[in-house]
Amino acid sequence: MNLDFTRVFSDAIPLLLEGTKTTIGIAIISILAGLLVGFVSCLMGISKNPVLRGISKAYVWVIRGTPMIVQAFFVFYAIPAVFPGVTPSAFVSGFVTLTLNAGAYLSEIIRGGIQAVPVGQTEAARSLGLSAFKTKIKVVLPQAFKIAIPSMVNQFIITVKDTSILSVISLDEIVNNAKKSIGMNYKFFETYILVAVFYLVIISALMVLSKYIEKRMNNERKG
Amino acid sequence: MSEKVKVVGLEKHFGDLVVLDGIALTVGEGEVVCIIGPSGSGKSTFLRCINRLETATGGQIFVDDQEITSKKIDINKARENIGMVFQQFNLFANYTVLENIMLAPVELKKMNKAQAKAKAMELLTRVGLADKADNYPNQLSGGQQQRVAIARSLAMNPDIMLFDEPTSALDPEMVGEVLQVMKELAAGGMTMIVVTHEMGFARDVADRVIFMADGGIVEQGTPTEIFSNPQNQRTKDFLSCVL
Repeated sequence: MNLDFTRVFSDAIPLLLEGTKTTIGIAIISILAGLLVGFVSCLMGISKNPVLRGISKAYVWVIRGTPMIVQAFFVFYAIPAVFPGVTPSAFVSGFVTLTLNAGAYLSEIIRGGIQAVPVGQTEAARSLGLSAFKTKIKVVLPQAFKIAIPSMVNQFIITVKDTSILSVISLDEIVNNAKKSIGMNYKFFETYILVAVFYLVIISALMVLSKYIEKRMNNERKG
Repeated sequence: MSEKVKVVGLEKHFGDLVVLDGIALTVGEGEVVCIIGPSGSGKSTFLRCINRLETATGGQIFVDDQEITSKKIDINKARENIGMVFQQFNLFANYTVLENIMLAPVELKKMNKAQAKAKAMELLTRVGLADKADNYPNQLSGGQQQRVAIARSLAMNPDIMLFDEPTSALDPEMVGEVLQVMKELAAGGMTMIVVTHEMGFARDVADRVIFMADGGIVEQGTPTEIFSNPQNQRTKDFLSCVL
């Protein structure tokens, strides 16, 4: 096997760095928006209102039941077809896709966290006279989030990697820019080794950050 | 003695299973009532109906002449006056001891933060745990957690306290410290309904002992009547097992 990185470095690295900016940028805003969507969907899913529950269930069902590549194509091509004149950019389509996707999984993760809080916590709060709403906000959700943090971090990592799927709608993230570089020098193997290294570095940084946050939260608790 | 709690024909079914079968009971102000009986007799379910943690299937419960079982009442408001202590303590894991006690008075706007803190420290001193104010529940022993749980209930200045097997989850050496707090509470004139397996406590502290079996009240009377001279065969069988 013959690896030749000489041209690959000069062709690929500027493009991959450019792509990294897009990858990280779209991942961050999609994770933040996804957290909001997931939280709202979760609250709807556990509410007493059957319509809200139904909407949340249907949303999670559709997202979990379809591949993200299909969702990306759907958002990219279906929106202009349904709303003539509206042509979302690859970035906006990608953002919407990632947000909806992460939101559905986060909704389930947060729900799992809520269910893991012992029912006695709720009973104690209610017995003191706290309303169901205040009990959720003050007692259940803070504990649920703490329980859910490891699973949420896992989902964040998946979301970062899922940005690569958005290359199919020509978002200039890492993978799509790698393809451009390959178009110049036909060095598939070498380029994808570099791509893998780029992802490993990004995800490792995210893991270090999450460990640090988890540690700080635990220290806070110990007082 | 004025009526504090009045229960009329209380029934509770879980599907086909009849857990409470027509309970009638009146508890006077300042009275300490201990409920004893075999497990599965409905003691805890009965207690939990009084603050509507369980909804009754039939019958009525009045606390301070307010019908708890009525759909129209503001149950949150009613619960402010009914303290409850649980077998598993149920201290809020995300708050310190002090914050546990302050939460309800501050959130329900009964006190401002400074008042609530002063009240919480006073209660912690009363249960002998002032030095644990800034600890988290998981740093406390079971007995300490239960004493904090009692203080947390008292912070709302309830008229009535419900105790659901408060010492059953404790290591034996910690039972005494919790019972001591409850004794002081009883001596202070608190109306208390206590589901317990501590026969010694029932004998020493209760004004009235109720023996429940199969979802009904089988026998009731003063501790002396129940423990020294039980009339019903089921009471006799139960006491011969536990005493």
